[in-house]
Amino acid sequence: MSTTLNIAKREFRSYFDSPVAYVVICLSLFGLGGVFFNYNGGFWQANRASLEQLFVQIPRALSWIVIPVVTMRLIAEEKRSGTLEMLITLPVKDSEVILGKFLGAWGLVLVLLGATIVYPALMFGAPWNLGALDSGPVAAGYLGLALYSAAAVAIGLFISALTESQIIAFFVTFVVLFFLHVLGAGAVLSMLPQRAEYVLTFISFDSRLASFMRGLVNTRDVVYFLSITFGSLIGAFWALERRKWN
Amino acid sequence: MIEATGLTKVYGAYRALDRVSFEVRKGEVVGFLGPNGAGKSTTMRILTCYNSASGGSAKVHGYDVFDEPLAVREKIGYLPQRAQMYGEMSVKEYLRFVADVRGIDDASFNKRMRNIVEVCGLGTVLGKDIRQLSHGYRQRVGLGQALIHNPPILILDEPTSDLDPNEKAEVLEYIKEIGKDRTVILSTHNLGEVEESCARAIIISKGRVVADGAIDEVRARGGRVRYQLLVDEKAALRGTAPSNEEVSAALGAIAGVLSVKELPTDDRAHGFTLLGNKSTDLRGEIFKLCVEKGWLLLEMRRDIQKLEDVFKSLTKGDEAADRLRTAAPADEDDEPADEDEDDDVEDEAGEDASDDDDASDDKADSKDED
Ligand SMILES: Nc1ncnc2c1ncn2[C@@H]1O[C@H](COP(=O)(O)OP(=O)(O)OP(=O)(O)O)[C@@H](O)[C@H]1O
Ligand SMILES: [Mg+2]
Repeated sequence: MSTTLNIAKREFRSYFDSPVAYVVICLSLFGLGGVFFNYNGGFWQANRASLEQLFVQIPRALSWIVIPVVTMRLIAEEKRSGTLEMLITLPVKDSEVILGKFLGAWGLVLVLLGATIVYPALMFGAPWNLGALDSGPVAAGYLGLALYSAAAVAIGLFISALTESQIIAFFVTFVVLFFLHVLGAGAVLSMLPQRAEYVLTFISFDSRLASFMRGLVNTRDVVYFLSITFGSLIGAFWALERRKWN
Repeated sequence: MIEATGLTKVYGAYRALDRVSFEVRKGEVVGFLGPNGAGKSTTMRILTCYNSASGGSAKVHGYDVFDEPLAVREKIGYLPQRAQMYGEMSVKEYLRFVADVRGIDDASFNKRMRNIVEVCGLGTVLGKDIRQLSHGYRQRVGLGQALIHNPPILILDEPTSDLDPNEKAEVLEYIKEIGKDRTVILSTHNLGEVEESCARAIIISKGRVVADGAIDEVRARGGRVRYQLLVDEKAALRGTAPSNEEVSAALGAIAGVLSVKELPTDDRAHGFTLLGNKSTDLRGEIFKLCVEKGWLLLEMRRDIQKLEDVFKSLTKGDEAADRLRTAAPADEDDEPADEDEDDDVEDEAGEDASDDDDASDDKADSKDED
């Protein structure tokens, strides 16, 4: 366990050794703020003090920029530069490497998620004092976001383990996450037969996240995100083991 | 300590290792030699459980590399070829990271650090980011990383390749020193280094072990000795000073001399290396020749053959064959022809002894064919 944490710690720190983490965090916070308050009339047009817009925009910002950037280098870059050989020939299990890297990257995303709490804090506390916040949906929403981001980071890690190119890892992750979001969009669904609609709703991130935002924590949704996370981690583990046999 | 049995590694259709077996005992420092692409790094990667062998097995410190990779890795310090480390970390941070992963506590870390900083000459770069270091310094950090847990077994892939001569000597000295109660296997292309620091050499070529034994044994395998001599170019006992060609021709004419090679020298002397059989001593003949001709013999030395010569003779053929193969990859049409020629040569040799006329006919025939 401590090996995993050591690897996770190093991974997490290394984000802050390059400008990547700062740039991504700042850009996405500002971008999110802009979208949240202005897009579609934004927050101020909604009749009730709700964070729904925020919860719709955060996962997109994460999936379409932050997570591909954060996960692209995890394994791909280590393979390309050759640092992987040094890491793996330490007394570490391949599974610890995967788990450590996952935790490091997920940790960064969670920090970023934590930072978005600034928005509700500003609105419902000082300086705007919009009144009492219904804390149930907010808590459930953040739980959903945490679970969703675990799944998305694990997918990115898996893809990064399949290639030696950060760029390829970035684009493939972006595309996969993009589709996992838009699959559940109404426009897409209305064009498809009933059964396909059911399947797409089942695997879509957006439809899974929707119930969390309403304050509902469904076991099925939790299991869904956890299964994607574990499945992708196992995939990444397999991709890392593959080096031995090629 | 290290025991490889029939290691085979196949990449696609390519056999990088072909039944490699060797054993390294405790306290041995073994040089692992071979031309580029021979399979040295592949072997080391299998021993460190980075890759798996396609066949055969290996044990390190009694643990099977396939079944107990963690136990194996705990016992070894490994320096990969052209070791790459996280560039954004400082040297100190990196060593600390390795120590943490290896579960070394602060007290022993500090103690080991002092030792490593001294041996690897890291004092001035501890605070620098690894990406800012020169190659040689990175190599030193890599070496330090391999030594941090004071391992009983060291596996070093070209540990001295980027070091300057001073540091190289120091590292080799250190390897020799720690090799007294540890097991070291190091690969290198520098045969002088092996002669200096290793008691034993394993030479592999094209994935096969072609020599394995104490350095002296391996050296003696060639069955040759070399003579080095210098003859004055400006003056002579009698007559005029000899020309290069003159000396070379006369030396080549001595019975028992297998080859004469000129050495690079300044313009005061001609230098030559002769190769002879180990069973005969040619020094007397050479001296006599010089006295007869009135040349000034400035220096003469008889050496047992260098490791380099043995290395060359053991691996050169393979390499030449390789080169031919890659130079003309689509020569499937040519290859049968080549084989035919080879057969012809053998036939000739066989027939030469029995029947001269036939043999010359054969030769004429094969020329016609060409
Ligand atoms: N991942 C790989 N895929 C395919 N072939 C490989 C792979 N790794 C090594 N090889 C091949 O295996 C052979 C042995 O390579 P290896 O790196 O072990 O050589 P080496 O003895 O270390 O050479 P050098 O002295 O150049 O370091 C080479 O022909 C190489 O091309
Ligand atoms: Mg090599």
